[in-house]
Amino acid sequence: MIEITETVVQSSKKTVVAAPSDITQIGIVAKYDVLKYLRNRRLLGMIAIAALVVLLITALPPLLGNSYADDADAFINTYASSVNILVIIGATLFAADAIVSEFQNHTGYLLFPKPVKKWVLLAGKFLASMGAMFLVLFIYYGVALILGLAITGGFSVLGVESLLLAMLYAVAALSVGYLISSIMKGTTGAQILTFALFLFIFSIVTRLLTMGNVEPWFIVSYASGVIGYTTQVPYPTGGTATGEGPFATSSYIPDIGVSVAVMVAYALVSLVLAHYFFKRREMAA
Amino acid sequence: MNEPIRTVNLTKNFNGFRAVDSLNIVVKKKSFMGFLGPNGAGKTTTIKILTNLLSPSSGSAYINGIDVTEDPKTALTNLGTVVETPEFYPYLTPKETLAYLGELNGMNSEDIRRRTKEVLETVKMSDWAGKRIGKFSKGMKQRIAIAQAILHEPSVVILDEPTIGLDPRGMFEVREILAELKNEDYTVLMSSHLLNEVQQVCNEVTLINRGQVLRSGPIDELTASINLRRLEVRTIQETSGVLRKISQLEAVSDLESLGPRDFVLSLTGGDESQADLLAGLQGLGLRVVSFKESGVALENLYMSLINESR
Repeated sequence: MIEITETVVQSSKKTVVAAPSDITQIGIVAKYDVLKYLRNRRLLGMIAIAALVVLLITALPPLLGNSYADDADAFINTYASSVNILVIIGATLFAADAIVSEFQNHTGYLLFPKPVKKWVLLAGKFLASMGAMFLVLFIYYGVALILGLAITGGFSVLGVESLLLAMLYAVAALSVGYLISSIMKGTTGAQILTFALFLFIFSIVTRLLTMGNVEPWFIVSYASGVIGYTTQVPYPTGGTATGEGPFATSSYIPDIGVSVAVMVAYALVSLVLAHYFFKRREMAA
Repeated sequence: MNEPIRTVNLTKNFNGFRAVDSLNIVVKKKSFMGFLGPNGAGKTTTIKILTNLLSPSSGSAYINGIDVTEDPKTALTNLGTVVETPEFYPYLTPKETLAYLGELNGMNSEDIRRRTKEVLETVKMSDWAGKRIGKFSKGMKQRIAIAQAILHEPSVVILDEPTIGLDPRGMFEVREILAELKNEDYTVLMSSHLLNEVQQVCNEVTLINRGQVLRSGPIDELTASINLRRLEVRTIQETSGVLRKISQLEAVSDLESLGPRDFVLSLTGGDESQADLLAGLQGLGLRVVSFKESGVALENLYMSLINESR
C-alpha cells in the first residue's frame, strides 16, 4: 500500500519545511541513484559488456564459416539464450551493494536522519536499478532485433516475448541482490555472493536435483531458461533421459507459466525480506 | 512536551550492555546545549536514537514533541544533524549533495539555490561547490556536513563531536561556524569531548556517565555550584621540604608535585579560600611566583562529577 502524505512542520525559520510525499521522494532517490550509475560508469560498463556480447554472437558465425539462421526467431535465439549473464552482472553491479554501501561507507549517517522512510529509500534505489537494467536489455534486444531484421528480413515477435521474460528475470535477480545487500556487512561480499549465487550455486543445485530426477522448477536460474526457449518454434516440451542404471540423468524444460510465477515469487519475497532487514538494521558502529 | 529535544526514560541495550539507562534530557528552545561525558557514556547512542539511526530498547525520544520512533518522517523534518563523521557520495559535488538532501527535505529549487549559496559561504566552501567530494579532506567534509545540517533552516540541530579528527586549524574553523550558529535562531545539542569547546560555544550543558544524567543546566550556574578548584602554584624556593605542611593547610587536598618548584592541588571553597591559601603559602615562607586555576571551570565540574559517579 503506497501512502501519499504531505508532512508540514511549523518552523520559525524562513525556509518552509515540508517533507514531500513518499512518491515524490521515491523519484528523488531514483534520480540521484541513476546519476550514481552514470558517474561511476557502471551503466556505461554494462552497455559495453552488452555490446561485446552482441558483437561476439554476430561476428563469430561468419568468422567460423557458419551461416546465420534464415528465420528471425531462430536468429534471435542465440542472443536470448545469452542474456542471463547480462542479468547476473547487472544484479551484481546495480543491486548487490545498493543497501550495504550506505552502512559500510557511512553515507547512511547523511541519508537516514532525513525525513524519508526506509521503504521509500529501497523503492527509489530499486527503481533506479531496474531502470538501468532495463535500459541495458532494451539496447541488447534492440540491436539483436534490428540485426535479425537486416539479416533475415523478418521481425521476431518471440524476441519481444523473450525480452519481457528477460525483464522479469532481471527484476527477480535485482530483488535477490537487494536482499543480499540488506543482510551482508560488506559491499565486496554482497557482490561476490550475488554473482556466485546466480552463476554457480543455483547451477550446482539445479544439476544435483536433475541428477536426482527432480525438476528444479523452483530455482530462479532454471526458470530463466524460458527466456531462450521461448524463441524456439515450437516451444520444446517434456524432458529427456540419458544414460542407464545409476548413470541415468534427466533434463527438463521449464514451463513458461510456472517459470513466470517463480520469477514473480522471487521478486516479491526477496523485496519484502530486503525491506524487513533494511528496516531493522541500525547504524550501530 | 513541546521542547525541541526531550528524552523520556530512554534506554538502549546492546547484547546485555546498557549504553543508555533511563535517560531524561530536555533541551530548551534556542539554547545551545553541550552534551558531555567520557567515552562510552552513551552520548552518541542517545544522539543516534534522536536521529533515528538506532531504535531505543525502551523509553521515548522526541523532537519538537514528536516521537522519533513512532513518526520519524514528521519528527526529522525540522531537524538538521551531523552524526559521527558522515561520508558523502564521492560522485556528487557539494552543490549536488545539498540539492539531493534539500529535495528530500521538501525544499523547492529556488530555496535550494539560495540556501546552498548561503550555507556554503557560511562554511567557507563556496570555491568547492562544483568539485566532486570524493577527494575532499576530512575537514572539508565536516564543513559540508554542517552545511547540509542547516540547509533547510531547521529549528533543531544535533551535532555529534563536530570537531573530532580535525587538525587545529579545522577545529578553529568549525568552532567559528558553531559560534555563528549560536547567534542564529537554532536550538542545538552538541556532544563533545572537548570541555573548552563546550564552554566556549554552549550556554547549557548536560553531563552524562554510564547512560545516566549527572547534572544538567546553564554552564554558569553549574560551574558556580561546584565548590572545588584546581590550582597550579610555582614558587621561588624548592618545595619538597614543605609539601607535607602545604597539604595540611585548610581546604587543601590532592596535592601533587609537578617539579622542584611546582605543584598542583585541589582547593575546596570559593575566592575566600583561595586568598587564604595564598596567605598560608606565604606564611610557610614560600615566595609565590604564580598562582592560577588549572583548567577551565567546566573541567573541574566534569572531573568532580565523573569521579563521584565512579
